[in-house]
Amino acid sequence: MNLIREIWQSIVRRDPLSTDKGKSELVFLNVWLHIHPAKVKKENMKFRHTFYLGFITFFLFLILLTTGIALMVYYRPYPPQAYQDMKDLQFAVFMGTFLRNMHRWAAHGMVICVFLHMCRVFYTGSYKKPRQFNWVIGVLLLLLTLSLSFTGYLLPWDQLAYWAITVGTNIGSYAPLIGGQLRELLLGGHSVGEGALIRFYVLHVAVLPAAMILLTIVHFWRVRKDGGLSRPVWKLKGKKEELVTIGAPAVAVPMQASAASKDKTYGLMEVVSGKPIFETVTPEEEEDTVFSYPYAFVREAVVLMATVTTVMTMSLFLNAPLEELANPAKTPNPAKAPWYFLGLQELVSHSAFLGGVVAPALMVLALLAIPYLDRNPSRRPRDRKLILWLFTIFVVANLALIVIGTFFRGPGWAMVPPWVHVVGGAE
Amino acid sequence: MNRREFFKISWGTVGLAALVSGVGVSLAAVVRFLMPSVFYEPPQSFKIGEPGDFPFGPPTFLVAEKIFVFRDREKGFAVASAVCTHLGCTVAHFSSDQRFHCPCHGSVFAADGSVQHGPAPRALDWFEVTMARDGKLLVNKDKVVPPNYRLMV
Repeated sequence: MNLIREIWQSIVRRDPLSTDKGKSELVFLNVWLHIHPAKVKKENMKFRHTFYLGFITFFLFLILLTTGIALMVYYRPYPPQAYQDMKDLQFAVFMGTFLRNMHRWAAHGMVICVFLHMCRVFYTGSYKKPRQFNWVIGVLLLLLTLSLSFTGYLLPWDQLAYWAITVGTNIGSYAPLIGGQLRELLLGGHSVGEGALIRFYVLHVAVLPAAMILLTIVHFWRVRKDGGLSRPVWKLKGKKEELVTIGAPAVAVPMQASAASKDKTYGLMEVVSGKPIFETVTPEEEEDTVFSYPYAFVREAVVLMATVTTVMTMSLFLNAPLEELANPAKTPNPAKAPWYFLGLQELVSHSAFLGGVVAPALMVLALLAIPYLDRNPSRRPRDRKLILWLFTIFVVANLALIVIGTFFRGPGWAMVPPWVHVVGGAE
Repeated sequence: MNRREFFKISWGTVGLAALVSGVGVSLAAVVRFLMPSVFYEPPQSFKIGEPGDFPFGPPTFLVAEKIFVFRDREKGFAVASAVCTHLGCTVAHFSSDQRFHCPCHGSVFAADGSVQHGPAPRALDWFEVTMARDGKLLVNKDKVVPPNYRLMV
Protein backbone atom coordinates (compact mmCIF):
# COMPACT_ATOMS: atom_id res chain seq x y z
CA MET A 1 0.00 0.00 0.00
CA ASN A 2 2.85 2.33 0.82
CA LEU A 3 4.28 1.89 -2.65
CA ILE A 4 0.97 2.78 -4.28
CA ARG A 5 0.70 5.87 -2.13
CA GLU A 6 4.25 6.80 -2.97
CA ILE A 7 3.58 6.46 -6.69
CA TRP A 8 0.39 8.50 -6.41
CA GLN A 9 2.16 11.22 -4.46
CA SER A 10 4.97 11.30 -7.00
CA ILE A 11 2.38 12.10 -9.67
CA VAL A 12 0.09 14.41 -7.69
CA ARG A 13 2.28 16.61 -5.56
CA ARG A 14 -0.27 19.10 -4.32
CA ASP A 15 -1.86 19.36 -0.89
CA PRO A 16 -5.35 17.87 -0.42
CA LEU A 17 -8.13 19.75 -2.22
CA SER A 18 -9.87 20.39 1.07
CA THR A 19 -7.30 23.10 1.74
CA ASP A 20 -6.97 26.45 -0.02
CA LYS A 21 -3.31 25.72 -0.68
CA GLY A 22 -4.29 22.47 -2.36
CA LYS A 23 -6.86 24.22 -4.54
CA SER A 24 -4.25 26.74 -5.64
CA GLU A 25 -1.58 24.12 -6.25
CA LEU A 26 -3.98 22.07 -8.35
CA VAL A 27 -3.89 24.96 -10.81
CA PHE A 28 -0.37 26.25 -10.76
CA LEU A 29 1.48 22.97 -10.30
CA ASN A 30 -0.32 21.49 -13.30
CA VAL A 31 1.03 22.21 -16.74
CA TRP A 32 -2.43 21.91 -18.38
CA LEU A 33 -4.41 23.88 -15.83
CA HIS A 34 -2.00 26.69 -15.06
CA ILE A 35 -3.27 28.81 -17.94
CA HIS A 36 -6.03 29.50 -15.40
CA PRO A 37 -5.47 31.78 -12.45
CA ALA A 38 -5.76 30.07 -9.06
CA LYS A 39 -8.68 32.35 -8.28
CA VAL A 40 -11.13 33.91 -10.71
CA LYS A 41 -13.50 36.82 -10.35
CA LYS A 42 -17.09 35.78 -9.88
CA GLU A 43 -18.16 38.27 -12.53
CA ASN A 44 -15.95 36.60 -15.15
CA MET A 45 -17.86 33.36 -14.89
CA LYS A 46 -21.32 34.81 -15.58
CA PHE A 47 -22.78 33.10 -18.63
CA ARG A 48 -24.37 36.24 -20.04
CA HIS A 49 -21.08 38.13 -20.10
CA THR A 50 -19.35 35.96 -22.68
CA PHE A 51 -21.82 33.16 -23.50
CA TYR A 52 -18.67 31.01 -23.16
CA LEU A 53 -18.25 31.39 -26.94
CA GLY A 54 -14.46 31.23 -26.79
CA PHE A 55 -14.61 28.04 -24.76
CA ILE A 56 -17.19 26.51 -27.10
CA THR A 57 -14.99 27.36 -30.10
CA PHE A 58 -11.98 25.78 -28.44
CA PHE A 59 -13.92 22.65 -27.49
CA LEU A 60 -15.21 22.34 -31.07
CA PHE A 61 -11.60 22.56 -32.22
CA LEU A 62 -10.72 19.69 -29.85
CA ILE A 63 -13.56 17.63 -31.35
CA LEU A 64 -12.22 18.44 -34.82
CA LEU A 65 -8.69 17.38 -33.88
CA THR A 66 -9.77 14.05 -32.43
CA THR A 67 -12.33 13.11 -35.09
CA GLY A 68 -9.95 14.38 -37.78
CA ILE A 69 -7.17 12.07 -36.64
CA ALA A 70 -9.64 9.19 -36.60
CA LEU A 71 -10.77 9.96 -40.17
CA MET A 72 -7.16 10.11 -41.39
CA VAL A 73 -6.83 6.39 -40.68
CA TYR A 74 -9.26 5.57 -43.51
CA TYR A 75 -8.43 8.35 -45.96
CA ARG A 76 -6.06 8.28 -48.93
CA PRO A 77 -5.46 11.74 -50.40
CA TYR A 78 -5.41 10.56 -54.00
CA PRO A 79 -8.17 10.71 -56.61
CA PRO A 80 -10.35 8.77 -57.08
CA GLN A 81 -9.51 6.66 -53.97
CA ALA A 82 -10.30 9.67 -51.81
CA TYR A 83 -13.92 9.44 -52.90
CA GLN A 84 -14.03 5.66 -52.44
CA ASP A 85 -12.77 6.15 -48.90
CA MET A 86 -15.66 8.54 -48.25
CA LYS A 87 -18.06 5.84 -49.40
CA ASP A 88 -16.23 3.35 -47.20
CA LEU A 89 -16.60 5.68 -44.24
CA GLN A 90 -20.29 6.00 -45.02
CA PHE A 91 -21.13 2.35 -45.50
CA ALA A 92 -18.34 0.04 -44.34
CA VAL A 93 -16.36 1.56 -41.49
CA PHE A 94 -17.81 1.09 -38.00
CA MET A 95 -19.05 4.53 -36.82
CA GLY A 96 -17.52 6.06 -39.97
CA THR A 97 -20.61 8.09 -40.83
CA PHE A 98 -20.95 9.23 -37.24
CA LEU A 99 -17.33 10.42 -37.02
CA ARG A 100 -17.53 12.20 -40.37
CA ASN A 101 -20.79 13.85 -39.29
CA MET A 102 -19.17 14.99 -36.03
CA HIS A 103 -16.23 16.42 -37.94
CA ARG A 104 -18.51 18.27 -40.36
CA TRP A 105 -20.96 19.69 -37.83
CA ALA A 106 -18.21 20.70 -35.40
CA ALA A 107 -16.54 22.54 -38.30
CA HIS A 108 -19.74 24.41 -39.15
CA GLY A 109 -20.25 25.15 -35.45
CA MET A 110 -16.73 26.50 -35.19
CA VAL A 111 -17.27 28.95 -38.05
CA ILE A 112 -20.44 30.19 -36.32
CA CYS A 113 -18.90 30.38 -32.84
CA VAL A 114 -15.70 32.14 -33.96
CA PHE A 115 -17.86 34.74 -35.66
CA LEU A 116 -20.19 35.17 -32.66
CA HIS A 117 -17.19 35.33 -30.33
CA MET A 118 -15.75 38.12 -32.47
CA CYS A 119 -19.07 39.98 -32.26
CA ARG A 120 -19.19 39.59 -28.47
CA VAL A 121 -15.63 40.93 -28.11
CA PHE A 122 -16.47 43.82 -30.39
CA TYR A 123 -19.73 44.84 -28.75
CA THR A 124 -18.20 44.77 -25.26
CA GLY A 125 -15.23 46.83 -26.48
CA SER A 126 -12.88 44.16 -25.21
CA TYR A 127 -10.33 44.74 -27.95
CA LYS A 128 -9.24 48.00 -26.38
CA LYS A 129 -5.91 48.70 -24.75
CA PRO A 130 -3.99 46.57 -23.79
CA ARG A 131 -5.82 43.84 -25.72
CA GLN A 132 -5.41 45.31 -29.23
CA PHE A 133 -3.00 42.72 -30.50
CA ASN A 134 -5.05 39.84 -29.13
CA TRP A 135 -7.90 41.04 -31.37
CA VAL A 136 -5.47 40.81 -34.32
CA ILE A 137 -4.59 37.24 -33.33
CA GLY A 138 -8.31 36.54 -33.08
CA VAL A 139 -8.87 37.76 -36.64
CA LEU A 140 -6.02 35.50 -37.81
CA LEU A 141 -7.69 32.59 -36.00
CA LEU A 142 -10.94 33.40 -37.85
CA LEU A 143 -9.06 33.30 -41.17
CA LEU A 144 -7.42 30.01 -40.19
CA THR A 145 -10.84 28.58 -39.32
CA LEU A 146 -12.15 29.53 -42.76
CA SER A 147 -9.02 28.16 -44.47
CA LEU A 148 -9.38 24.89 -42.60
CA SER A 149 -13.02 24.69 -43.69
CA PHE A 150 -12.07 25.40 -47.30
CA THR A 151 -9.21 22.87 -47.44
CA GLY A 152 -11.40 20.39 -45.55
CA TYR A 153 -14.37 20.24 -47.85
CA LEU A 154 -12.08 19.61 -50.83
CA LEU A 155 -10.84 16.31 -49.44
CA PRO A 156 -13.90 14.10 -50.24
CA TRP A 157 -13.16 14.67 -53.94
CA ASP A 158 -16.81 14.92 -54.83
CA GLN A 159 -18.33 17.45 -57.21
CA LEU A 160 -18.44 20.15 -54.51
CA ALA A 161 -14.75 19.56 -53.76
CA TYR A 162 -13.59 19.66 -57.35
CA TRP A 163 -15.47 22.79 -58.33
CA ALA A 164 -14.63 24.55 -55.07
CA ILE A 165 -10.89 24.07 -55.74
CA THR A 166 -11.38 25.20 -59.33
CA VAL A 167 -13.27 28.35 -58.39
CA GLY A 168 -11.27 29.06 -55.22
CA THR A 169 -7.84 28.85 -56.83
CA ASN A 170 -9.08 30.85 -59.82
CA ILE A 171 -10.13 33.62 -57.43
CA GLY A 172 -6.54 33.51 -56.13
CA SER A 173 -5.24 33.94 -59.68
CA TYR A 174 -6.92 37.36 -59.86
CA ALA A 175 -4.56 38.63 -57.12
CA PRO A 176 -2.28 41.26 -58.64
CA LEU A 177 1.30 40.35 -59.65
CA ILE A 178 1.54 36.96 -57.95
CA GLY A 179 -1.89 35.60 -58.94
CA GLY A 180 -0.79 33.10 -61.59
CA GLN A 181 2.10 31.72 -59.53
CA LEU A 182 -0.11 31.56 -56.46
CA ARG A 183 -2.55 29.30 -58.25
CA GLU A 184 0.24 27.10 -59.58
CA LEU A 185 1.74 26.91 -56.08
CA LEU A 186 -1.58 25.84 -54.56
CA LEU A 187 -2.42 23.34 -57.29
CA GLY A 188 1.07 21.99 -57.85
CA GLY A 189 0.25 22.19 -61.55
CA HIS A 190 -1.89 24.00 -64.08
CA SER A 191 -5.14 22.19 -63.52
CA VAL A 192 -6.97 20.63 -60.60
CA GLY A 193 -5.76 17.06 -60.08
CA GLU A 194 -3.91 14.77 -57.72
CA GLY A 195 -1.17 17.35 -57.10
CA ALA A 196 -3.79 19.78 -55.82
CA LEU A 197 -5.46 17.22 -53.57
CA ILE A 198 -2.26 16.24 -51.75
CA ARG A 199 -1.34 19.89 -51.25
CA PHE A 200 -4.70 20.76 -49.75
CA TYR A 201 -4.47 17.64 -47.60
CA VAL A 202 -1.08 18.69 -46.21
CA LEU A 203 -2.47 22.15 -45.48
CA HIS A 204 -5.56 20.70 -43.84
CA VAL A 205 -3.98 18.08 -41.58
CA ALA A 206 -0.59 19.61 -40.78
CA VAL A 207 0.18 23.22 -41.68
CA LEU A 208 -3.07 24.96 -40.76
CA PRO A 209 -3.81 23.00 -37.55
CA ALA A 210 -0.25 23.66 -36.36
CA ALA A 211 -0.68 27.39 -37.01
CA MET A 212 -4.05 27.23 -35.28
CA ILE A 213 -2.62 25.58 -32.16
CA LEU A 214 0.30 28.01 -31.92
CA LEU A 215 -1.91 31.09 -32.29
CA THR A 216 -4.50 29.69 -29.88
CA ILE A 217 -1.81 29.33 -27.21
CA VAL A 218 -0.77 32.96 -27.69
CA HIS A 219 -4.43 34.04 -27.71
CA PHE A 220 -5.16 32.32 -24.38
CA TRP A 221 -1.92 33.45 -22.78
CA ARG A 222 -2.67 37.06 -23.57
CA VAL A 223 -6.23 36.80 -22.20
CA ARG A 224 -4.75 35.45 -18.98
CA LYS A 225 -2.05 38.13 -18.77
CA ASP A 226 -4.59 40.88 -19.46
CA GLY A 227 -6.68 39.89 -16.46
CA GLY A 228 -8.85 37.08 -17.74
CA LEU A 229 -12.11 37.39 -19.58
CA SER A 230 -13.16 40.99 -19.95
CA ARG A 231 -16.27 42.01 -18.06
CA PRO A 232 -18.94 44.43 -19.20
CA VAL A 233 -18.07 47.87 -17.87
CA TRP A 234 -21.51 48.43 -16.40
CA LYS A 235 -20.95 45.52 -14.04
CA LEU A 236 -17.95 47.16 -12.41
CA LYS A 237 -18.78 49.27 -9.44
CA GLY A 238 -16.62 51.56 -7.40
CA LYS A 239 -13.62 51.56 -9.70
CA LYS A 240 -12.68 53.69 -12.65
CA GLU A 241 -14.38 51.62 -15.28
CA GLU A 242 -11.93 52.13 -18.13
CA LEU A 243 -8.98 50.98 -16.13
CA VAL A 244 -10.36 47.90 -14.53
CA THR A 245 -10.21 45.31 -17.24
CA ILE A 246 -7.91 47.11 -19.53
CA GLY A 247 -4.93 47.29 -17.34
CA ALA A 248 -2.28 49.87 -16.85
CA PRO A 249 -2.67 52.97 -14.72
CA ALA A 250 -2.50 56.12 -16.83
CA VAL A 251 0.62 57.35 -15.08
CA ALA A 252 3.46 55.24 -13.84
CA VAL A 253 3.17 54.62 -10.15
CA PRO A 254 5.41 52.36 -8.16
CA MET A 255 3.90 48.97 -7.48
CA GLN A 256 2.14 48.91 -4.16
CA ALA A 257 2.83 46.03 -1.90
CA SER A 258 -0.47 44.86 -0.48
CA ALA A 259 -0.61 43.54 3.01
CA ALA A 260 -0.26 39.80 3.13
CA SER A 261 -3.00 38.05 5.00
CA LYS A 262 -1.69 35.48 7.39
CA ASP A 263 -3.34 32.48 5.80
CA LYS A 264 -1.64 32.98 2.43
CA THR A 265 1.77 32.12 1.16
CA TYR A 266 3.60 34.44 -1.18
CA GLY A 267 6.67 33.59 -3.18
CA LEU A 268 8.63 36.70 -4.00
CA MET A 269 10.32 36.07 -7.34
CA GLU A 270 12.00 39.32 -8.18
CA VAL A 271 11.42 43.01 -7.70
CA VAL A 272 11.54 45.14 -10.82
CA SER A 273 10.61 48.75 -11.26
CA GLY A 274 7.88 49.82 -13.64
CA LYS A 275 4.18 49.32 -13.92
CA PRO A 276 2.35 46.13 -14.72
CA ILE A 277 0.73 46.18 -18.14
CA PHE A 278 -1.82 43.62 -17.08
CA GLU A 279 -4.57 43.72 -14.54
CA THR A 280 -3.68 42.88 -10.98
CA VAL A 281 -6.11 41.88 -8.30
CA THR A 282 -6.25 44.51 -5.60
CA PRO A 283 -7.07 43.63 -1.98
CA GLU A 284 -10.60 45.04 -2.21
CA GLU A 285 -11.26 43.01 -5.38
CA GLU A 286 -9.96 39.91 -3.66
CA GLU A 287 -13.35 39.49 -1.97
CA ASP A 288 -15.07 39.08 -5.34
CA THR A 289 -12.92 36.10 -6.32
CA VAL A 290 -13.38 32.39 -5.84
CA PHE A 291 -11.03 29.47 -6.37
CA SER A 292 -10.88 28.20 -9.95
CA TYR A 293 -11.31 24.76 -8.47
CA PRO A 294 -14.12 23.89 -8.46
CA TYR A 295 -16.09 26.94 -9.60
CA ALA A 296 -14.48 27.74 -12.98
CA PHE A 297 -13.56 24.14 -13.80
CA VAL A 298 -17.07 22.83 -13.22
CA ARG A 299 -18.50 25.50 -15.51
CA GLU A 300 -15.96 24.72 -18.20
CA ALA A 301 -16.68 21.02 -17.88
CA VAL A 302 -20.41 21.70 -18.27
CA VAL A 303 -19.77 23.75 -21.42
CA LEU A 304 -17.48 21.03 -22.77
CA MET A 305 -20.07 18.32 -22.17
CA ALA A 306 -22.86 20.45 -23.64
CA THR A 307 -20.76 21.10 -26.75
CA VAL A 308 -19.84 17.45 -27.25
CA THR A 309 -23.41 16.32 -26.58
CA THR A 310 -24.84 18.80 -29.07
CA VAL A 311 -22.41 17.77 -31.81
CA MET A 312 -23.02 14.07 -31.12
CA THR A 313 -26.79 14.48 -31.15
CA MET A 314 -26.69 16.38 -34.43
CA SER A 315 -24.41 13.71 -35.89
CA LEU A 316 -26.90 10.97 -35.02
CA PHE A 317 -29.69 12.58 -37.01
CA LEU A 318 -28.07 14.70 -39.73
CA ASN A 319 -25.69 13.24 -42.28
CA ALA A 320 -22.83 15.26 -43.75
CA PRO A 321 -23.50 15.79 -47.45
CA LEU A 322 -21.48 13.95 -50.08
CA GLU A 323 -22.06 14.67 -53.74
CA GLU A 324 -21.20 12.41 -56.65
CA LEU A 325 -17.62 11.72 -57.72
CA ALA A 326 -15.74 14.73 -59.05
CA ASN A 327 -16.42 15.15 -62.76
CA PRO A 328 -14.25 17.75 -64.53
CA ALA A 329 -16.56 17.70 -67.54
CA LYS A 330 -19.76 18.62 -65.77
CA THR A 331 -20.14 21.60 -63.48
CA PRO A 332 -23.19 21.18 -61.23
CA ASN A 333 -25.85 23.80 -61.85
CA PRO A 334 -25.95 25.79 -59.68
CA ALA A 335 -22.49 25.06 -58.23
CA LYS A 336 -22.73 26.36 -54.69
CA ALA A 337 -20.05 26.57 -52.01
CA PRO A 338 -20.95 25.75 -48.36
CA TRP A 339 -23.15 28.42 -46.79
CA TYR A 340 -20.34 30.38 -45.10
CA PHE A 341 -18.69 31.05 -48.47
CA LEU A 342 -21.88 31.92 -50.35
CA GLY A 343 -21.47 35.61 -49.45
CA LEU A 344 -18.10 35.51 -51.19
CA GLN A 345 -19.58 33.59 -54.11
CA GLU A 346 -22.30 36.25 -54.42
CA LEU A 347 -19.56 38.91 -54.53
CA VAL A 348 -17.49 37.13 -57.21
CA SER A 349 -20.62 36.65 -59.31
CA HIS A 350 -20.50 40.42 -59.86
CA SER A 351 -16.74 40.79 -60.33
CA ALA A 352 -13.99 38.27 -59.70
CA PHE A 353 -11.35 40.90 -58.98
CA LEU A 354 -13.41 43.39 -56.97
CA GLY A 355 -15.58 40.81 -55.24
CA GLY A 356 -13.05 38.02 -54.87
CA VAL A 357 -9.84 39.91 -54.11
CA VAL A 358 -10.41 43.58 -53.28
CA ALA A 359 -13.52 43.33 -51.09
CA PRO A 360 -12.32 40.42 -48.92
CA ALA A 361 -8.86 42.00 -48.56
CA LEU A 362 -10.42 45.29 -47.45
CA MET A 363 -12.71 43.49 -45.00
CA VAL A 364 -9.80 41.64 -43.41
CA LEU A 365 -7.66 44.79 -43.25
CA ALA A 366 -10.54 46.70 -41.65
CA LEU A 367 -11.01 43.97 -39.04
CA LEU A 368 -7.28 43.88 -38.27
CA ALA A 369 -7.12 47.67 -37.96
CA ILE A 370 -10.16 48.14 -35.69
CA PRO A 371 -8.28 48.31 -32.35
CA TYR A 372 -5.76 50.78 -33.77
CA LEU A 373 -8.25 53.03 -35.58
CA ASP A 374 -10.73 53.17 -32.72
CA ARG A 375 -9.02 55.69 -30.40
CA ASN A 376 -12.05 56.04 -28.14
CA PRO A 377 -10.99 54.73 -24.70
CA SER A 378 -14.54 54.20 -23.44
CA ARG A 379 -16.11 50.78 -23.48
CA ARG A 380 -19.61 52.00 -22.67
CA PRO A 381 -22.05 51.47 -25.57
CA ARG A 382 -23.51 54.95 -25.20
CA ASP A 383 -20.07 56.45 -25.97
CA ARG A 384 -19.48 54.20 -28.99
CA LYS A 385 -22.65 54.63 -31.02
CA LEU A 386 -20.99 55.30 -34.40
CA ILE A 387 -18.61 52.35 -34.36
CA LEU A 388 -21.29 50.01 -33.04
CA TRP A 389 -23.49 51.00 -35.98
CA LEU A 390 -20.65 50.52 -38.46
CA PHE A 391 -19.84 47.06 -37.14
CA THR A 392 -23.52 46.10 -37.11
CA ILE A 393 -23.81 47.14 -40.76
CA PHE A 394 -20.72 45.02 -41.54
CA VAL A 395 -22.28 42.00 -39.82
CA VAL A 396 -25.70 42.47 -41.42
CA ALA A 397 -24.20 43.00 -44.89
CA ASN A 398 -22.23 39.76 -44.60
CA LEU A 399 -25.28 37.86 -43.41
CA ALA A 400 -27.42 39.38 -46.17
CA LEU A 401 -24.94 38.28 -48.85
CA ILE A 402 -24.99 34.76 -47.41
CA VAL A 403 -28.79 34.72 -47.36
CA ILE A 404 -28.97 35.93 -50.98
CA GLY A 405 -26.40 33.36 -52.11
CA THR A 406 -28.10 30.56 -50.19
CA PHE A 407 -31.80 31.16 -50.83
CA PHE A 408 -32.11 33.53 -53.77
CA ARG A 409 -29.76 32.04 -56.35
CA GLY A 410 -30.83 29.28 -58.69
CA PRO A 411 -29.47 27.61 -61.83
CA GLY A 412 -26.98 29.78 -63.70
CA TRP A 413 -26.75 31.91 -60.52
CA ALA A 414 -29.98 33.61 -61.64
CA MET A 415 -32.11 35.40 -59.06
CA VAL A 416 -34.74 32.87 -58.02
CA PRO A 417 -36.76 33.56 -54.85
CA PRO A 418 -36.94 30.58 -52.49
CA TRP A 419 -40.72 30.26 -52.88
CA VAL A 420 -40.37 29.58 -56.62
CA HIS A 421 -39.77 25.93 -57.46
CA VAL A 422 -37.41 25.37 -60.37
CA VAL A 423 -38.08 22.16 -62.24
CA GLY A 424 -34.89 20.78 -63.73
CA GLY A 425 -31.80 22.80 -64.59
CA ALA A 426 -31.39 25.45 -67.23
CA GLU A 427 -30.40 22.85 -69.81
CA MET B 1 34.33 56.87 -33.77
CA ASN B 2 36.73 54.78 -31.74
CA ARG B 3 37.96 51.30 -32.50
CA ARG B 4 35.32 49.59 -30.37
CA GLU B 5 32.42 51.40 -32.03
CA PHE B 6 33.85 50.75 -35.47
CA PHE B 7 33.96 47.01 -34.88
CA LYS B 8 30.52 47.01 -33.27
CA ILE B 9 28.95 48.68 -36.31
CA SER B 10 30.87 46.79 -38.97
CA TRP B 11 30.34 43.38 -37.39
CA GLY B 12 26.73 44.27 -36.76
CA THR B 13 26.25 45.17 -40.42
CA VAL B 14 27.97 42.01 -41.62
CA GLY B 15 25.94 39.89 -39.23
CA LEU B 16 22.64 41.48 -40.24
CA ALA B 17 23.46 41.14 -43.95
CA ALA B 18 24.33 37.47 -43.43
CA LEU B 19 21.06 36.87 -41.54
CA VAL B 20 18.87 38.66 -44.07
CA SER B 21 20.48 36.99 -47.09
CA GLY B 22 20.38 33.59 -45.39
CA VAL B 23 16.69 33.88 -44.58
CA GLY B 24 15.95 35.33 -48.01
CA VAL B 25 17.73 32.56 -49.88
CA SER B 26 16.06 29.93 -47.70
CA LEU B 27 12.60 31.38 -48.33
CA ALA B 28 13.25 31.55 -52.07
CA ALA B 29 14.42 27.93 -51.96
CA VAL B 30 11.24 26.89 -50.13
CA VAL B 31 9.03 28.59 -52.74
CA ARG B 32 11.06 27.00 -55.53
CA PHE B 33 10.77 23.62 -53.81
CA LEU B 34 6.99 23.97 -53.78
CA MET B 35 6.91 24.64 -57.53
CA PRO B 36 7.09 21.25 -59.29
CA SER B 37 9.95 20.85 -61.77
CA VAL B 38 8.07 18.27 -63.80
CA PHE B 39 4.35 18.36 -64.50
CA TYR B 40 2.77 14.97 -65.12
CA GLU B 41 -0.14 16.54 -66.92
CA PRO B 42 -1.82 15.86 -70.25
CA PRO B 43 -0.05 17.66 -73.14
CA GLN B 44 -1.41 20.99 -74.37
CA SER B 45 -1.15 19.76 -77.95
CA PHE B 46 -3.05 16.59 -78.84
CA LYS B 47 -4.86 14.74 -81.64
CA ILE B 48 -8.62 14.47 -81.40
CA GLY B 49 -9.34 12.06 -84.29
CA GLU B 50 -10.24 11.92 -87.96
CA PRO B 51 -12.33 14.74 -89.47
CA GLY B 52 -15.02 12.19 -90.25
CA ASP B 53 -15.47 11.46 -86.52
CA PHE B 54 -17.19 14.80 -86.05
CA PRO B 55 -20.74 15.47 -87.22
CA PHE B 56 -22.01 18.67 -88.76
CA GLY B 57 -24.33 20.80 -86.69
CA PRO B 58 -24.12 21.05 -82.88
CA PRO B 59 -20.55 21.00 -81.51
CA THR B 60 -18.95 17.87 -80.11
CA PHE B 61 -17.89 18.24 -76.44
CA LEU B 62 -14.64 16.45 -75.56
CA VAL B 63 -14.78 15.72 -71.83
CA ALA B 64 -11.13 15.23 -70.88
CA GLU B 65 -9.84 18.06 -73.09
CA LYS B 66 -12.66 20.46 -72.14
CA ILE B 67 -13.14 21.70 -75.70
CA PHE B 68 -15.99 22.08 -78.16
CA VAL B 69 -15.30 20.95 -81.74
CA PHE B 70 -17.43 22.78 -84.29
CA ARG B 71 -17.80 21.48 -87.83
CA ASP B 72 -19.54 23.58 -90.42
CA ARG B 73 -20.30 22.42 -93.97
CA GLU B 74 -19.05 25.62 -95.59
CA LYS B 75 -16.54 26.99 -93.11
CA GLY B 76 -14.81 23.92 -91.68
CA PHE B 77 -13.43 23.11 -88.24
CA ALA B 78 -13.09 25.36 -85.18
CA VAL B 79 -12.23 24.47 -81.57
CA ALA B 80 -13.50 26.51 -78.60
CA SER B 81 -12.44 26.26 -74.97
CA ALA B 82 -15.14 25.05 -72.57
CA VAL B 83 -13.46 26.73 -69.60
CA CYS B 84 -15.23 29.87 -68.40
CA THR B 85 -12.86 32.83 -68.30
CA HIS B 86 -14.34 34.00 -64.99
CA LEU B 87 -13.45 31.28 -62.50
CA GLY B 88 -12.86 28.16 -64.57
CA CYS B 89 -16.18 26.32 -64.47
CA THR B 90 -17.11 24.24 -67.53
CA VAL B 91 -19.58 26.04 -69.79
CA ALA B 92 -22.38 24.25 -71.63
CA HIS B 93 -23.37 24.95 -75.25
CA PHE B 94 -27.12 25.33 -75.69
CA SER B 95 -28.24 24.46 -79.21
CA SER B 96 -31.51 26.29 -78.51
CA ASP B 97 -29.88 29.73 -78.53
CA GLN B 98 -26.42 28.87 -79.98
CA ARG B 99 -24.72 30.33 -76.89
CA PHE B 100 -22.44 29.14 -74.10
CA HIS B 101 -23.81 29.26 -70.55
CA CYS B 102 -21.71 29.02 -67.37
CA PRO B 103 -23.51 27.38 -64.42
CA CYS B 104 -21.35 28.89 -61.68
CA HIS B 105 -22.02 32.63 -61.90
CA GLY B 106 -24.30 32.97 -64.89
CA SER B 107 -21.90 34.21 -67.59
CA VAL B 108 -23.27 33.87 -71.13
CA PHE B 109 -21.07 33.81 -74.23
CA ALA B 110 -22.24 34.41 -77.81
CA ALA B 111 -21.68 31.93 -80.63
CA ASP B 112 -18.30 33.58 -81.37
CA GLY B 113 -17.31 33.29 -77.69
CA SER B 114 -17.69 36.98 -76.81
CA VAL B 115 -19.18 37.87 -73.41
CA GLN B 116 -22.86 38.81 -73.56
CA HIS B 117 -23.82 38.64 -69.90
CA GLY B 118 -22.39 38.03 -66.44
CA PRO B 119 -19.06 38.51 -64.68
CA ALA B 120 -16.73 36.87 -67.25
CA PRO B 121 -13.88 39.32 -67.96
CA ARG B 122 -13.08 38.19 -71.54
CA ALA B 123 -14.27 36.01 -74.39
CA LEU B 124 -13.87 32.24 -74.54
CA ASP B 125 -10.61 31.08 -76.13
CA TRP B 126 -10.49 29.52 -79.59
CA PHE B 127 -7.61 27.12 -80.18
CA GLU B 128 -5.60 26.41 -83.28
CA VAL B 129 -6.64 23.22 -85.05
CA THR B 130 -4.50 21.79 -87.86
CA MET B 131 -4.25 18.61 -89.86
CA ALA B 132 -1.49 16.27 -88.73
CA ARG B 133 0.48 14.17 -91.22
CA ASP B 134 -1.53 11.06 -90.40
CA GLY B 135 -4.74 12.86 -91.37
CA LYS B 136 -5.91 13.45 -87.80
CA LEU B 137 -6.97 16.77 -86.37
CA LEU B 138 -4.35 18.33 -84.08
CA VAL B 139 -5.44 20.85 -81.42
CA ASN B 140 -2.91 23.14 -79.76
CA LYS B 141 -4.21 24.77 -76.59
CA ASP B 142 -1.10 26.95 -76.34
CA LYS B 143 -2.06 28.75 -79.57
CA VAL B 144 -5.10 30.97 -79.16
CA VAL B 145 -6.57 32.07 -82.47
CA PRO B 146 -9.22 34.64 -83.51
CA PRO B 147 -12.87 33.41 -83.42
CA ASN B 148 -13.08 33.44 -87.21
CA TYR B 149 -10.19 30.95 -87.56
CA ARG B 150 -11.32 27.86 -89.48
CA LEU B 151 -9.65 24.75 -90.82
CA MET B 152 -11.04 23.60 -94.17
CA VAL B 153 -10.74 19.90 -94.79
